Amino acid sequence: MRFIVVRRTRSHPYIRPLVIVLSLLTGMMLVAILLTLIGAHPLATIVAIAYSFITPQVVKDMVLLTMLGCALLISFKGALWNVGAEGQLYTAIIPIVWITLYVAPWSASSPPYQSILVTLASITAAAIFGAMWGAIAGVLRAYVGIDEVPVTLIMNYIAYYLVNLLILGPFRGRYVYGYIRTDDLPDAYKLNINVVMQRTGNAFIDGFLEFIRVIVYYAYWVLAAILVALLTWIVFNHTSIGLKIKILGSNPEFLKAVGVDVRRTIVMALTLSGLLVGIASATYYLGDLTRLTYPIQAQTAGYGYLAILVAWLSMLELQLIPISAYIVSSLRNAGRNMQIFGLGGLESTLILLGSILLTYSTLRFLTEYEVRVVK
Amino acid sequence: MSLEHYIVNSIIELAPVFATFYLVALGHSLFEKAGLLDLAIDGVFFMSSSIAVGVAVASGSPVIGTIVAAISAMLLGAALAFLMTSLPISHGAIGLSMMFLGYGIGIIVGYPARLEVGSIAMYAYGESEAMAIMAVSIAIGVFVHIILKYTKLGAAIRACGENPHAAASLGVNVLLIRLIAGAAGFAIMGAGSSFFTLAWQKFWDPKSYTLGYGWLAFTAALTSGRHPIVLMPISLVFGGLIFYRVKIGVMYGVEKDVANLVPFIAALAAMLIFYSTKLKKALAPPASLGKIYYREERTI
Repeated sequence: MRFIVVRRTRSHPYIRPLVIVLSLLTGMMLVAILLTLIGAHPLATIVAIAYSFITPQVVKDMVLLTMLGCALLISFKGALWNVGAEGQLYTAIIPIVWITLYVAPWSASSPPYQSILVTLASITAAAIFGAMWGAIAGVLRAYVGIDEVPVTLIMNYIAYYLVNLLILGPFRGRYVYGYIRTDDLPDAYKLNINVVMQRTGNAFIDGFLEFIRVIVYYAYWVLAAILVALLTWIVFNHTSIGLKIKILGSNPEFLKAVGVDVRRTIVMALTLSGLLVGIASATYYLGDLTRLTYPIQAQTAGYGYLAILVAWLSMLELQLIPISAYIVSSLRNAGRNMQIFGLGGLESTLILLGSILLTYSTLRFLTEYEVRVVK
Repeated sequence: MSLEHYIVNSIIELAPVFATFYLVALGHSLFEKAGLLDLAIDGVFFMSSSIAVGVAVASGSPVIGTIVAAISAMLLGAALAFLMTSLPISHGAIGLSMMFLGYGIGIIVGYPARLEVGSIAMYAYGESEAMAIMAVSIAIGVFVHIILKYTKLGAAIRACGENPHAAASLGVNVLLIRLIAGAAGFAIMGAGSSFFTLAWQKFWDPKSYTLGYGWLAFTAALTSGRHPIVLMPISLVFGGLIFYRVKIGVMYGVEKDVANLVPFIAALAAMLIFYSTKLKKALAPPASLGKIYYREERTI
């Protein structure tokens, strides 16, 4: 008896969700086993992970990761593995800090429309910075032939240290109580809607109301995520560059044969990807982060890396990005819950992500191939 | 201090740094020579350096730490080589997943040792062993070069990297060859990583997975064309940049983060020079690096 791998003649209707579910279960099991080995109770681990799927905290991460997932989708569709969203995320924050704290700082005499103008200018500048940072990798790949994976990864570290230098130097805050960080973003520029919900005493109703409160709090993010998803859909379905990117990913030789400038397509794909990361970055900074703390590499939540997982888990399908973002956000929360329950810390999150990604990357071939047993 | 003393001291200081970068980049090169793309490097680097610490503290011997780190990495390398060769799956995706997993496992393994002993200095290699570590690293490099260039096994490894389909039709067992290259390459990487914590830094910190030194070794291998001999001076330059960055920073009054930036800018510059000059042709990567090896019907 032996196993053989053959290409599927027809695609299996349930294989994609099956691969995703299998990957999730395997990842959870692996974490439970590893944590059991170091003394944690396996059932407590599973409960902590399962609980994370229904906590309101998942909303914030899900919305942000949906935006970043869409951004990476643009380059991934073209088989351009932009793993530099982390660096693009932080470089895009640089102009926002500059605009909001130094160019147009808020004061009591500022006109009301200033907050709208500054917010719009910040988002635009962040998008431009993100695009420029992404374009560097695009140019190096297209015109020099350097693989984008090491370039974007190395540029993440360059971004960290550049931002650190700015925090230590020109961006160092004056009202920071001895901490090394930037000043807080003025309240007038914050993208949040605060609502107070009255507690009823019923756990189910209160939990539901908390979900509503969080969604309202991040309403601007939800709008931005819808905009980014819409832009991604338009790029792929109604623009020639979107079509070129898709062909670049599936059949680059065809693109060359019909006379398309492949180099330009590569640069455009990575630039557009960076641009959308920039928009996500602006909402993240204006709605949640609100200041940069030194050293940034020790403070980062690692959203840029999590977004890779989101894009991969979606199987590069735009409609699956929010679902994938929800799963990854829940898993990130699971890591935090495990810390709260005393079941490990950062390592749990990393192992959870790594094992799910590993299982998924391994099993993904089953969507196109099948394994047969022959005598 | 006389010039001779100064030179000897500098070599002793740099020896563990060189051994770390050189062996990690060398193992990575051997893995990639067989056509297997290795994006797991940074995770494996951190994981192996943590395993080395955990085992050295438990056994009281840095040598046992290095051996166990090499064996763990070897098993992982063989597993990755098996998956990448026998299944039509993305080398890049598998490698990056392994990177995250390596970070997580590294923290799990290293943390208890640090809690137990605080400082690992007494379980690390002494200064007197630095030159031996460097000599062994160079010897391993020369050995790998001879194997790759002058033996049938080396020719088979290179053939698997250039065109595995052609190699298979000439009678090469692609899976077996890649298993050997994968296991040997990762074993060398594991040993090199152990020197990071046990000979160079002599401390372990869970946050050191954010340093990105694995990626610098990746760049060193890439710019040397994965050639074991060319890799020696390049590893020395990268190691020197990392090691002396703080001293240079202090000497010239440069911020720590500027000094931290320099190796990464240098890595980008090195890649730029490599790809935009004739070096790219002379030290070209294996033609099938990272490509899925799939024959229409594949037995696993």
